[in-house]
Amino acid sequence: MNAKKVSANVVAVLIAAFFAFPTYWMVTTALKPKKDLLSSDFDLIPSSVTNSNFVTAWTKPGFLQSLGNSLLVSLSAVVAALVIGLLAALALSRMRFRGRKGFVMLMLVAQMAPFEALLIPMFLMMRDLGLYEQLSSLVLIYFAVTLPFCAWTLRGFVNGIPIELEEAAMVDGCGRWGAFRRVTLPLLGPGLVATSVFAFITAWNEFLFAKVMVRAEDKETLPVWLSGFQSAFGTDWGGAMAASALFTVPVLVFFLIVQRKMVTGVTAGAVKG
Amino acid sequence: MTAVETTDAAVPVRNSSPAPRRAVAGGARRRRGSAFDRLLPYLLLAPAVLGILWLIGFPVVSVVVTSFRKLDLGELVRGEIVWVGLDNYTKVLSDPRFWEITVRTVVFTAAVVAASVVVGLAIALLMRQLSTPIRILLQVCMLLAWAMPIIASTTVYQWIFDQQYGILNKILVKLGFDFAGYSWFSTGTATLSVIGLLIVWQAIPFLAFSLYAGVIGVPADLYEAAGIDGATAWQTFRAVTWPELKPLLMMVTFLSLLWDFKVFTQIWVFKEGGPSGGSTTLPVLQYLEGISQSHFGVAAAVSVLMVVILTLLTVTYLRKLLQTQEGKL
Repeated sequence: MNAKKVSANVVAVLIAAFFAFPTYWMVTTALKPKKDLLSSDFDLIPSSVTNSNFVTAWTKPGFLQSLGNSLLVSLSAVVAALVIGLLAALALSRMRFRGRKGFVMLMLVAQMAPFEALLIPMFLMMRDLGLYEQLSSLVLIYFAVTLPFCAWTLRGFVNGIPIELEEAAMVDGCGRWGAFRRVTLPLLGPGLVATSVFAFITAWNEFLFAKVMVRAEDKETLPVWLSGFQSAFGTDWGGAMAASALFTVPVLVFFLIVQRKMVTGVTAGAVKG
Repeated sequence: MTAVETTDAAVPVRNSSPAPRRAVAGGARRRRGSAFDRLLPYLLLAPAVLGILWLIGFPVVSVVVTSFRKLDLGELVRGEIVWVGLDNYTKVLSDPRFWEITVRTVVFTAAVVAASVVVGLAIALLMRQLSTPIRILLQVCMLLAWAMPIIASTTVYQWIFDQQYGILNKILVKLGFDFAGYSWFSTGTATLSVIGLLIVWQAIPFLAFSLYAGVIGVPADLYEAAGIDGATAWQTFRAVTWPELKPLLMMVTFLSLLWDFKVFTQIWVFKEGGPSGGSTTLPVLQYLEGISQSHFGVAAAVSVLMVVILTLLTVTYLRKLLQTQEGKL
C-alpha cells in the first residue's frame, strides 16, 4: 500500500467512527449504572456495566403498550400498501391499456407530494370520520404515505423481470395466475422485501401525525412516547438511551436481514440514475 | 420516503414488452378473455387509485379550500363554514415573522442539502480508494446511522450535547477548551446547527451508498484512458466522474431537498422551535398555528405557501423529471 492509500484508509476509519459514535454512546450509556451517568467524570469507556436501565425502560408504564401500538400500526399499513401497491404495479408494468401513462404519473406525483403539508386537512378529515384518537387513523395515513412509493418501486422491480419468462411458463401450460405465482412472484421476492423495509421504516419513524392524531397515552406510538422521555424519565438518560436502543432493534434487525438485497436495489438503480 | 427514484431506475425499463398473450385461445373463450383482459388492469389499479384519491387527492383539495375559510376551534365545534377569501393569506404574508421563518427554512434546507450531498459524494469517491475490510467497516458504521430511528437519534444527540453531563463538552474540556457547562442551544441558529448536524449525519449514508454505486458504475476503461493521457486526479474527476455522475447527483439532491425542507420531528423534539421561536421553520409554524392554536384556516394557508415555496425551489428539476418520465413511458 502506498502512502496515499494508507491515508485514505485512515480518513475512512475516522469517518466510520463519526457515524458509529452515537450508536456506541447510546449502547454504553444504556449499560452504565445510574450513578456514573450524572457525574462530571470523563467516561468515554464505561467502567462498570448493568442491565438496570433496560429493566427501567422495559417496565416503564407505556413502553410495551406503545411498542405494540407502533408495531400494529406500521405492520398493518405496510402490508396493505404492499399488497395494493403490487396489484397496481403489475397493471402498470405488464399491461397495455388506455390511461396507463396518466396512472404512472399519478403514482410518481403522489409519492413526491410533501405529505406533512396535508396535516390540517388530514386532521379535519379524521375528525369527521370519527377516527380522531383512534389508531386506525394512523393506519390509514401511513398506508397513504407508503402506497404510492410501494406501487412505484414495485413497478420498477416488475419491469426488471423479463416477460419472456412468464410467456414461457404460459406456453408450458400455466395460466396467467400460475405464471405469475410460479415465475414472477418468486423473482420479485427481493424487491418486495426491500420495498417493505423502506415502507416499514417510514411508518416506524413517523412522528408528526402520530403526535397529532392520537393523544391518549394508551394509544401513543413509540416515537411519541419516547419524545416525552424528559417527562417520563426526568434526567434519567440511562433509561432514555435503553429505550432508544430497544426502539432501534427492530429496524436494525430488518436492515441486517435485507441489507444485501436492499443495497443491490438501491445501487442497481443508481447506475442509470 | 427513501430511495424513491433510484430504485425505479434500478432495472431496465421494458415498456416495449407486450402484454402477456394467451398461447392458445379458442373463439368464445378469447372474446370472454379479452373483455376480462381489457377490464383487468383497471380492476388491479382500482384499490390503489381510490386510496390515493381518497387519502391524498381529497386532502390536497381540502387544504386549499380550508385556506379560504376562517376555521378556529369555535367554527370547528359548531360546524360553521365562514368564507374569508384571501384573509388568511394576507394575514400570513403581512406578518414579518412569516418571512423570517421562510428565509430561515430555505437557508437551513439549502445548508443541510449542500452539506450532505457534498460529504456524501466525497465519501462515495473515498470508498473507491479503500481496502475491502475498511470499506466494509465504513459501510457497516454508516448503516448503523441510517437504521437508527429518528427519535432515537434525536434523543442520543440531545444526550451527547447535554449542557452538564454531555460527552461533547467533557471531551472539549479534556482537550483544554473551556466548555464546562456550555449550552449548545442558547440561540435559534446554534440550535439549528446542532439539528442540521444530526440531519446531515443521518442523510449521508443513503447519499454515499447511492453515489458509490454510481461511482463504481463508471466504466473502468474511461479511468484507464484518463490515466494513459496523464490526467491529474482533479482532471479525471472533472472529465470522467462528474459527467457520468451528474444525473444521479441531481436526482439525490432533488430528493434531499424534498426530505429536508419538511423536517419537523428533530426540530420539534429538540426545542419545540425555540429558544423564543429561534429555530422555528415552516413545518413547525404550520403545527403551532394549526394544532397548538387551532387556527386551522391560517395553518392551511401556511401549508399551501409551504408547497408553493418547495415547488419554486425544485421547479427546474421537477419539470425535467416529469418530462423524462413521461418520455420513458
